Amino acid sequence: MTIPQTTSSPPAPQPRVSRRTFLKGSAAVAIGAAALPSARGAAVEQPASGTPSGPFRKGRVIDCHAHLSHRSRATWEADDRRLIEAADKLGIDQLCCSTLTPRWPATADGFRECNQWTADGMRRFPGRVLGYCYVNPGYGREALEEIRRCVEERRFVGIKLYNEYTCTEPVVFPIVELAIELGVPILHHAAHSHYFVEDQPRMSDGGHLAELARRYPEAMLICAHISGGGDWEWTIKALRNAPSVLLDTSGSVTDEGTVEMAAAVVGVDRLVFGCDSSMTAGVGKIRGANLSTQDKEKILGENMMRLLRRRKP
Amino acid sequence: MIVDVNAYLGHFAFRRLRHNTAAALLALMDSKKIDKAVVSSASAITYRNAQAGNEEVAAEVRGHRDRLIPFAVINPFYAGWQDDLRICHEEFGMAGLRLYPKWHNYSLSSPCCRELVNAATERGLVISIPIRVEDNRERSWLLDIPDVPLEEIVELVKACPKARFILLNGIGYVACLLGRKDNGLPSNYAIELSRLSAVLANEIGQLITNLGAERVMFGTGMPFNYPDPALLKLEVLDASEPDKEKIRWQNAATWLRL
Repeated sequence: MTIPQTTSSPPAPQPRVSRRTFLKGSAAVAIGAAALPSARGAAVEQPASGTPSGPFRKGRVIDCHAHLSHRSRATWEADDRRLIEAADKLGIDQLCCSTLTPRWPATADGFRECNQWTADGMRRFPGRVLGYCYVNPGYGREALEEIRRCVEERRFVGIKLYNEYTCTEPVVFPIVELAIELGVPILHHAAHSHYFVEDQPRMSDGGHLAELARRYPEAMLICAHISGGGDWEWTIKALRNAPSVLLDTSGSVTDEGTVEMAAAVVGVDRLVFGCDSSMTAGVGKIRGANLSTQDKEKILGENMMRLLRRRKP
Repeated sequence: MIVDVNAYLGHFAFRRLRHNTAAALLALMDSKKIDKAVVSSASAITYRNAQAGNEEVAAEVRGHRDRLIPFAVINPFYAGWQDDLRICHEEFGMAGLRLYPKWHNYSLSSPCCRELVNAATERGLVISIPIRVEDNRERSWLLDIPDVPLEEIVELVKACPKARFILLNGIGYVACLLGRKDNGLPSNYAIELSRLSAVLANEIGQLITNLGAERVMFGTGMPFNYPDPALLKLEVLDASEPDKEKIRWQNAATWLRL
């Protein structure tokens, strides 16, 4: 499908939460242009392809779980712009975005179209949007070809898997093996509820991701949205002994103590900041967590940067 | 000044809460520069006899009444609720109620509930209704408590125009009558913002446009929730400073006669 030509350009800088208050928290934060840290300027630089120390430098805030709008929505362009504006206000430098099909399971044409739109988003918001390649593993060769095209040609930074298959099903294994070959992470949709989720019968949970990590310890797996994935205490405990799996803090739930328990059980080095479109929830729970500034820096960007730097040339 | 209309003390049956004593909550409030908070018993949500939770809250806030404003949890289907209401108001000095129709298994349209609402209104008490306690996806295997449908709130505010309601932990008001402009409903309800968006869809901004800033109140849901997301919403909200002041504390101060 042809991508419509767009004339969009990155929005002008907005008043935003300063880095200091982002990390330490203050109800009396003064927001305004004066609060703009230098990171904002660097954030809009065009990423230098294949130079890991370029776009992913220390001090950057990276939302590891974001989505661009599917273009079946009449408001998609404004929605995408609002996402960047929200990131500006909240001090988020970069967003790792996928575009998902509105209905599942995704067809091959459907995920290819979504990935074209993600690539276009990377062009419309250079340096701000990093792309995840979304595929349905059930399409086998087509899915693998799409991942290779997106990562090698379009410079996507990772792979997004949703709920078409539980991650421990063999159909997923070639995707994981290709991710290992390319040196990119897989952000995997996950949730654990104490009831059967009828509309997502093959949903993965933290236990499944731990099992997958035992099979592929060299894979970079991110268990999605601890704060939007059901019983987060269960998920944290399920991942305790899966040291290669990272946990994304995104989701709309703002239960007090979530981030601290995750840090205590799996360690701050395995936590990556995200919003999954719940912007103030995502930022607010990191701000509110009783952790050191150094630990928050790791969660906000350093841990994700560590993953992204493992990309193979 | 910041007044939080959505805070709790005590234990919750299905998850450990921190900062859930008066001393600990006040320390948390100090760290977040929240001056006052409306508190009710988290334990009373699942106690069969909710009054036991009210007694615990009354004891906890003693000596802190300048900052902690106690509300009573009343179940209108439980024996002796009229006595409990009187005690909570007259002896404990509680300024309002919190109702849990789904957790306590009754309908907002039931005669007993209407009787409670009317009795509370005659006493000048504010009635707050948490639309949910926790996200349904994380619920225990023991129960399945739905959110309070906003349509049921619509019927309640229409049926009880003299009552004053604060709606807590809700979302999606602009998609129903409650959040629409010129909706024909009495202006007897205010909406607390802890789950509302301040960016992207910006439901808070839409409510200010549709209902006026006078109808939006600040709340966090602490200690169930981190208070920071709610504070952050006010920081990034695209609204005038006078409107933000209304939301931060002035509306609550008016309603609660602080």
